[in-house]
Amino acid sequence: MSSSIETPLHYFHGQQTGSGDAQVTIFESPLCGHLNLRGNPQDEQFLEGVESVVGVKPPTTAGSCASSGDISIYWLGPDEWLLLLPESRRAEVESELRNKLSGHFSVVDVSGGQTLLNVRGDGVADMLKKSASYDFHSNNFPAGRCVQTHFAKATALVSKKDDGSFDLVIRRSFADYLASWLLDAGEEFGCRVVGGGEV
Amino acid sequence: MQTNRVASGGRINRGNAVNFTFNGKAYQGFAGDTLAAALLANGVDIVGRSFKYGRPRGIVGHGAEEPNAIVQLGSGAQTVPNLRATQVELYEGLEAHSVGGWPSVDFDVREVLGFMGKMMPPGFYYKTFMRPQNLWHFYERWIRKAAGLGKAPLESDPDCYDKLNQNCDVLVVGAGPAGLAAASAAARAGARVIIADEQQEFGGSLLASQQQIDGQPAMSWVDERLAELGNNDNVMLLPRSTVFGYYDHNFLGILERRTDHLGISSPGQVRQRMHRVRAKQVVLATGAIERPLVFANNDLPGVMMASSVSTYLNRYGVAAGNNLVLFTTNDNAYQTAIDWHKAGRKVVKIVDSRPEPTGALVNTAREFGIDVMAGHVVVEAKGRRRVKGAMVAPLNDNASAVAGAAIRLDCDLLACSGGWSPAIHLSSHTGAKPQWNDELVGFVPGESKQQERSAGSAKGAYSLAGCLQQGDEAGREAARKAGLDGESTAASYQVDEQPQQPQQAMFLVPHAKSTSRAPVQFVDFQLDVTAAAIELAAREGYESVEHVKRYTAMGFGTDQGKLGNINGMAILARALGRGIPETGTTIFRPSYTPTTFGAIAGRDVADLFDPERYTAMQRWHQQQGAEFENVGQWKRPWYYPKPGETMHDAVNRECLAVRNSVGMLDASTLGKIDIQGPDAGEFLNRMYTNAYAKLAPGKCRYGLMLKEDGMIFDDGVTACLGPNHYLMFTTTGGAAAVLAWLELWQQTEWPELQVYFTSVTDHWATATVTGPNARKVIEKVCDDIDLSNEAFPFMDWRDATVAGVSARIFRISFTGELSLEVNVPAHHGRYVWEKLVEAGEEFGITPYGTETMHVLRAEKGFIIVGQDTDGSMTPADMGMNWVVSQKKEFSFIGKRSLSRSDMLREDRKQLVGLKTRDPQDVLPEGAQIVNQPEHAPPVPMQGHVTSSYYSANLGHSIALAVVKGGHKRMGETVYCPLADGRVIEAEIVSSIFYDPKGERQNV
Repeated sequence: MSSSIETPLHYFHGQQTGSGDAQVTIFESPLCGHLNLRGNPQDEQFLEGVESVVGVKPPTTAGSCASSGDISIYWLGPDEWLLLLPESRRAEVESELRNKLSGHFSVVDVSGGQTLLNVRGDGVADMLKKSASYDFHSNNFPAGRCVQTHFAKATALVSKKDDGSFDLVIRRSFADYLASWLLDAGEEFGCRVVGGGEV
Repeated sequence: MQTNRVASGGRINRGNAVNFTFNGKAYQGFAGDTLAAALLANGVDIVGRSFKYGRPRGIVGHGAEEPNAIVQLGSGAQTVPNLRATQVELYEGLEAHSVGGWPSVDFDVREVLGFMGKMMPPGFYYKTFMRPQNLWHFYERWIRKAAGLGKAPLESDPDCYDKLNQNCDVLVVGAGPAGLAAASAAARAGARVIIADEQQEFGGSLLASQQQIDGQPAMSWVDERLAELGNNDNVMLLPRSTVFGYYDHNFLGILERRTDHLGISSPGQVRQRMHRVRAKQVVLATGAIERPLVFANNDLPGVMMASSVSTYLNRYGVAAGNNLVLFTTNDNAYQTAIDWHKAGRKVVKIVDSRPEPTGALVNTAREFGIDVMAGHVVVEAKGRRRVKGAMVAPLNDNASAVAGAAIRLDCDLLACSGGWSPAIHLSSHTGAKPQWNDELVGFVPGESKQQERSAGSAKGAYSLAGCLQQGDEAGREAARKAGLDGESTAASYQVDEQPQQPQQAMFLVPHAKSTSRAPVQFVDFQLDVTAAAIELAAREGYESVEHVKRYTAMGFGTDQGKLGNINGMAILARALGRGIPETGTTIFRPSYTPTTFGAIAGRDVADLFDPERYTAMQRWHQQQGAEFENVGQWKRPWYYPKPGETMHDAVNRECLAVRNSVGMLDASTLGKIDIQGPDAGEFLNRMYTNAYAKLAPGKCRYGLMLKEDGMIFDDGVTACLGPNHYLMFTTTGGAAAVLAWLELWQQTEWPELQVYFTSVTDHWATATVTGPNARKVIEKVCDDIDLSNEAFPFMDWRDATVAGVSARIFRISFTGELSLEVNVPAHHGRYVWEKLVEAGEEFGITPYGTETMHVLRAEKGFIIVGQDTDGSMTPADMGMNWVVSQKKEFSFIGKRSLSRSDMLREDRKQLVGLKTRDPQDVLPEGAQIVNQPEHAPPVPMQGHVTSSYYSANLGHSIALAVVKGGHKRMGETVYCPLADGRVIEAEIVSSIFYDPKGERQNV
């Protein structure tokens, strides 16, 4: 089955700009499960219901994320979160959520519509500055923060990792544009896209 | 020969000679020179011709204020017009030309005109060349040839420009004494600091200063500050960076010239970078610009600003002449005479307008044996292509007129200083109204409108100690207001400085003749505005300084009147009999100096200009040679031409394939919104014109969405996925607007309805398999559901496995044929698509694009929102009342508007079909429809063609149109007069051309 899968940056894997050793690496994660979750943050039952499935309550502080085991949960809005998890667990977690939650909520599989990138290397701060007006300086954006923001002329969910690298979740239909944009932005540092098993 | 280069001194590298050309002639300068410094070193007097009169002009200043030495750098694609030679760093092979002057700067045709006749007054062109009116075009050609500044390149620029977004606590503009003190103070307080300066080196006025700070040369202090700032990770130093604009919300633009000093081209590097800065606080330490003195022939080459003479001497080791006359109204400029004297050159005289100058610098000059003529002014410069002498006359007691005969002083350099004007440009950009200060004889920044403060000479502090102290205070205040509450103590920088005497205000130097009779006294060098012109403007009735600016062109040049504006406004004030504060000043606007378009565009060019959105099957389409159509930002296959096929051939083939066997369309771009919640059904009921509340799981329904005005806004199919769970399809172009529309109503009008919306447009890839053989194709790759019409009827959907992938199949149709729309998560999109192509091979499955989709749906009379509707069409106009439910308990959006009297008019434009008399004639879309083509104009319009195609299936052309009262005009003949003179006759018919009973989609 895996041969039937093409992640959004499939055709970019191995592409490189700039000369010499690539100082910036854009790593496209293999297919992940992406679940969009909506519910009432004032509803303890909802928060606890989610916790009972994913191991952590949905963060209610704007622009924060949390994780438990192999599941990460990102604040997208006052009543909206993104769950990122291994694709192998997606169906099980989705149905568990439907079982455990009651009342008004929504769970939507959006795995095919977006992709997870990790961007790391010396030029990353400048690449982000070229792409977005948001302040990604560690004073303003420490590890554990996330933000949905304009990214070039598209959008991205950006989060900061403990190791100082950045995760980007971008939409599939804009992925070709954004990959081209990032390769261009990283050209002065040397920039490479890698995917799947080529880490 | 660098005839004017002094033996030693300056911040140039004499070991590194640099070759360059100016107006085609070869010269040599040194690394560290600006083009202006190198030209002066080589004794080049004339660097340009004036804009209006073609008078010879020389270098006046040494920075952004330079009005005359405006050059075109390089040639071809990389050429840059309108650069100030005073700001162009010299590099090997530099090639520059004057922007003005025709046929050349050494001989200019306008100069002859100027000598022949009287000087051209303001409005000259309108007053002279507009009569007779038809001759203007003849004159214009020659006038334009002779005038104008710079040439834009004709080729596209091969260099790379980009943009960086910056955020900081404190942005310091200017790295002179005040700016460096401010940046140091802010950085010590822990602030994230950006300090930008337009020059290649930090230091500002200190670069050419002989003063000391903390007992050492000023540049040592600069080096200390740079070391301190450079070691701080929170500080960004931006040399060669002009802060060109200050916009709302403390947003500022900086143009950084990264490689311009290395050469005209910089392959593989970023030539210029735009920094888009959001600063919490700003310190404007932009310095001050020395003010010229307005006297007769003050534009002769060799008349320069006093501080510029010093700068060329001290910083570049260039003496811009031999025998200097200094004309001043203040103490400050005496330093120039002292510098000149120390360099071993001759100071002929210092001419000081003040009756009794007694300041410390005055005394120093006298001690050097320099002769000071107090109470005198230079009334006129003598010479033709270079100053040869200065006519000096005594002033009367109140400095309003000359009080005796003029004597001539021979000289080849006339340095002038009318005091200083704070560089308040950026403060002006914020809307702060400049304030006149009598003591300083200048405008200082007005009350702050944004989070900014000025410091140093930008604020009128002209002593070095004052600049340092104000800078330090401003830096600490800015850091504090940016939220950094760490301790910060005042820095103490020691400067040994003597107080200066007050300067004299002198905006127009008196002449024995009246202003209008005296030789020209220039106010604005770049655009040739004279004192007489300003007085004339006042006499002609202009009172507002903004009107005078536009009438005389004062301050309109690329230099924005950095030198001349204050004098001009003061001259206007006097002509109007008003004070300067009441007359006011024009408002400076961005850019401070011209900004290149390349930097403004950045990387948003060529393929990156706008996002192209692709479906998961994009590469397949490309490999099949598809032509693409833009639909919003999406690229959709338009048609798939085979070798040798025209578009018409390809579309005909695709259309026939669908009706006769099977075709496949990539429908992934349609908007898709997942809707969940206990009130989802009720919400849909209110959004759509028809009923949704009772739609059962597994069923689909087509709906129309209206705006409040009753006009069609979007259409599409919504499927019920399960209890309280729906999937809405929208048009491709309308997806984002529809989602926003749903959120708007839920959040603002009906927050009590519990419903959530989530876009799943990108999640699904959709292959529409359509045609009589569609089922046979799907059967080959899907065996887990019963695909028969009985088990899976039209307007139902099913979960199924297609080619081993979990899918949803919808039996909805936009072609009127049996259609199965296969939806899979997009990462399986290309795989499943190719499996369907494989399965369809035996039926000749034909991929088709949007053009065929349009033809097929038009054959069925299906509308496209935005093509057949234009925001003024109701469901009734479209003949779609069948989709409007009047029985719903709650209303639906737009319902009330549908019963307004205008909506019930019988002569509204209504959707009909048109059949041309000649079946091969295809009407142009947009063609107007009339009843009588021979009617005398204006011909009453009946409507227009909205969609028009050739239908290969029907063997004739088909068109949809909106026609007044069209629904009741079936069979009537109408006419479409075309732009080419032809008139096409057509019959009004039903908008459904094919399979009117809709049987084919139900099989």
